[in-house]
Amino acid sequence: MGWLIDLLPLNYSDAVVAIGAALLGIAAGALGVFAVLRQRSLVGDALAHAALPGVCVAFLATGAKDATTLLVGAALAGLVGALLMVGIERTSRVRPDAAIGVVLSSFFSLGIVLLTHIASTNDANQAGLDTYLFGQAAGLLERDLDVMAVLAVVALAVVALAFRPLKTTLFDPAFAGAVGLPVRLLEIFMTMLLVVAVVIGLRTVGAILMVAMLVVPAVAARQLCNRLSLLIPLAALIGAAVGVAGALIAARAEVPTGPVIVLVGFAVVLATVLLAPGRGVLWRGRKLARDRRRALVEGVLVDLETTIHAGPPPTPRELALASGRPRRQVARALSALDRAGMLARDGERIHLTESGAAAAHAVLERRDLWSAWLEHGWKLRLPDAREPDPTDLRASLGDDCADELRRLALAGDGGGAAGDAGQGAR
Amino acid sequence: MSAHQDGGPPTAGRGAGDRAPALEIRRMTVSYGARPVLWDVDASFPAGRLSAIVGPNGAGKSTLLKAALGLIPADAGQTLVEGRPVGAARDRVAYVPQRDAVDWDFPITVREVVEMGRYAPTGWFRRVPRRDAALVDDCLERVGMGDFRGRQIGQLSGGQRQRVFIARALAQQAPLLLMDEPFSGVDARTEASILELLAALRDEGRSIVVVHHDLGTVRGAFDHALLLNVRAVAEGPVAEVVTRETLARAYGAGADAVGRDAGEALSWAG
Ligand SMILES: Nc1ncnc2c1ncn2[C@@H]1O[C@H](COP(=O)(O)OP(=O)(O)O)[C@@H](O)[C@H]1O
Ligand SMILES: [Mg+2]
Repeated sequence: MGWLIDLLPLNYSDAVVAIGAALLGIAAGALGVFAVLRQRSLVGDALAHAALPGVCVAFLATGAKDATTLLVGAALAGLVGALLMVGIERTSRVRPDAAIGVVLSSFFSLGIVLLTHIASTNDANQAGLDTYLFGQAAGLLERDLDVMAVLAVVALAVVALAFRPLKTTLFDPAFAGAVGLPVRLLEIFMTMLLVVAVVIGLRTVGAILMVAMLVVPAVAARQLCNRLSLLIPLAALIGAAVGVAGALIAARAEVPTGPVIVLVGFAVVLATVLLAPGRGVLWRGRKLARDRRRALVEGVLVDLETTIHAGPPPTPRELALASGRPRRQVARALSALDRAGMLARDGERIHLTESGAAAAHAVLERRDLWSAWLEHGWKLRLPDAREPDPTDLRASLGDDCADELRRLALAGDGGGAAGDAGQGAR
Repeated sequence: MSAHQDGGPPTAGRGAGDRAPALEIRRMTVSYGARPVLWDVDASFPAGRLSAIVGPNGAGKSTLLKAALGLIPADAGQTLVEGRPVGAARDRVAYVPQRDAVDWDFPITVREVVEMGRYAPTGWFRRVPRRDAALVDDCLERVGMGDFRGRQIGQLSGGQRQRVFIARALAQQAPLLLMDEPFSGVDARTEASILELLAALRDEGRSIVVVHHDLGTVRGAFDHALLLNVRAVAEGPVAEVVTRETLARAYGAGADAVGRDAGEALSWAG
C-alpha cells in the first residue's frame, strides 16, 4: 500500500486513514447490497454487534492487540452469530426479526461485559479495545490496510464470479431452486459476505454504527439506478466517498470516526431520497402536483366548453356554480388557461378562443376514447402487452387501436342511446 | 449439463399415448408442523396437454408444485419428469412461481429477467452466447413484451409481469411448464391472451400444468385437470373431473352453487 500512500496528496497519517476508509466503504457498500435487497439490513447490524465479544475473546486469549488477530476473533464471532440466527429461525417458530434481536442484544451485552472486565483487570494494553465500539480510523496502521485490501479484493472477486447465481437467488429464490441452484448455501454465503464487510469496517466505524455503512450506500445507489450490475459498483463508490469524507473530518475534529461517517452517509441518503430523478420524494411530489393541476385545468376547460354550448358565456362565478367546483380552483384554472391564450374575456364573461375550443375538444375526444376503451376494449385483440394509459390512450395503444375504438364506439352508440332512454323512462 | 443440452420442445403432432407422462407425482405427502397440507397425492399429467390444478384456497396447490420440484421438503413422495426423477431432469422443467413471490422493486430490467432463463442452460459462469441473446428477444416478442425490454420490472402492470415470467420460462426451452396462479390479479383480457399463448405452446408439443382458480375457464381452455383439496379428489379429462359431484367433494359445503354453474363459481376464488 506504500505506493498508494505516496501517491495521495495527503500527509502520511491522513493518507492511511483515507485509504482505510475507502476500502471499508467499497467493501461495505458493495456487500451491503446483499443485505438490503434481501430485506435483511438488520442482519448486518446483528453481525457487527456480534463481532464485539469476538474481539474481546481474541484479546483475552492471545494478549495481542494487533488488529489482524482481533479481527480473526471478530470474524469467528460474526460467523457464530450468523449461524445462530439461521438456526433459531429454522428450528423454532421464532420470526427472523426476533432472532436478529436476540442475537444482537445478547452478543453485544457479552461484548460489553468482557470489555469492562478487560478494562478493570488489564494493564494499559487494553486502552485500544474500546475503539471497536465507536470506531477510530486514526489508529489504523499500514499493515492493517494490507489485510483490509486483501479481504475486500477476495470478497468482490467472488461476488463478480458468482454474480449470476447470486442475482438469481436474490431476485427469485423459488426459480433459483427450480433450476438447481443451492439456494440455502447461497443465502448463507451472502451472510458470510456481510461478515467479511463487518470485519473490514469494524475497526474504523465501530460495532454500533457499522450497519450504516452496509445500508447507506445501497439505499442511496438504489435511488439512482435500476440495475443490479450497476448498483453494486455505484454503492461501492458512494461507500468509499462517504467513508473517506467522514474519516478525514473525524480525524481533524478528533471525534470518533463512526458517528461522523454515519452523519455524512445520512446526508447522502437524505439528498438522494429527496432529489433522485424518478424516485426522489421531491420529484414525485412535483409530478403529482403537475398531474393534479393538469386535471383541474382540463376539467374547467371542459366545463367552460359545455356551459358555453348550453347558454351565454358565463362569468367565473357562474362557471364555478355550474360546475360545482370551489371558486378559488376555478379562478386558478382560468388564469392558467388565460396565460395559455385559450380565453377571451368580454367584461366579466368568458369565451374560449379558437385554440381554447380546440384544446377542449381534444380533451373531450380523449375522454370519449377512454370510455370507448372501457366499454369496447375487450373486443380489440391487442397483439402484444400494450397497456392503455388513461391520460393518453392514443399514444399508448397506437393510432390503429384508437381509430378502431372510435369506430366501435360509434357503431355501439345506437344501443347505448336506447339504453339511456330506457333508464330515463324508468 | 445433461444430455438434453438442446432442450427444445418435442415435435408437435404426437398424441399423448406414445409419450411418458410429462409429470408424474406419486404418494406426495407434505406437512407444515403437525398439519398435513398434502396427503398421499397421486397425479399424472399427460405430455403435450394443457392441464389445470384446481382447488380451494389453501388446498395445497402451490405446495404441490414446490414439493414436486424439491423446493420444500416432502415427508414422502416421488416426482418423475418424463419418467426420470426430477433431480435428473431439471433442464426439462420451467417453473413460473406465483407472482407475489418476488420483490417487484428489485433493480432488474425486463430483459435481464428473461435472460435469467438462459443461465442454467448455458452455464452459470459463461458469457451468454449471441444466439441466446436472440432467443431472449424472441421470447419477449412472443409474449408481446418486445417494447418493454429496457423497463425496470416495477413499472409493469400485473399482466405484463406475468408475461415477463412466461417469457423467462420460454427462454429455458423446457418441454414442461409449471405455472403457479398465472391469472390471479390479471384482467380478463390479459387472461384470455395468455391462455391463447398457452394453447399455442401446447400445440407446439409442450406440456403445461397451471395452478388455476377459475373453474369457468377450466372447462373451456384445459384438456386435463387435477382437483385437489389436501388429497387428490379427482383427476382426468376436464369434462370428467369438473362435475357437480366432484366439486362438492373438493369444495365441501357451498359447493352446490359451484356445481350448478361452474362459470359463475367465483365466490370461493382468492
Ligand atoms: N411456509 C408455510 N408454513 C406453514 N404453513 C404453510 C406454509 N405455506 C403454506 N402453508 C399452509 O399450507 C396450506 C396450503 O398452502 P398452499 O399450497 O399455498 O395452498 P394453495 O396454493 O392451494 O392456496 C395452507 O393452509 C397454508 O396456510
Ligand atoms: Mg397458492
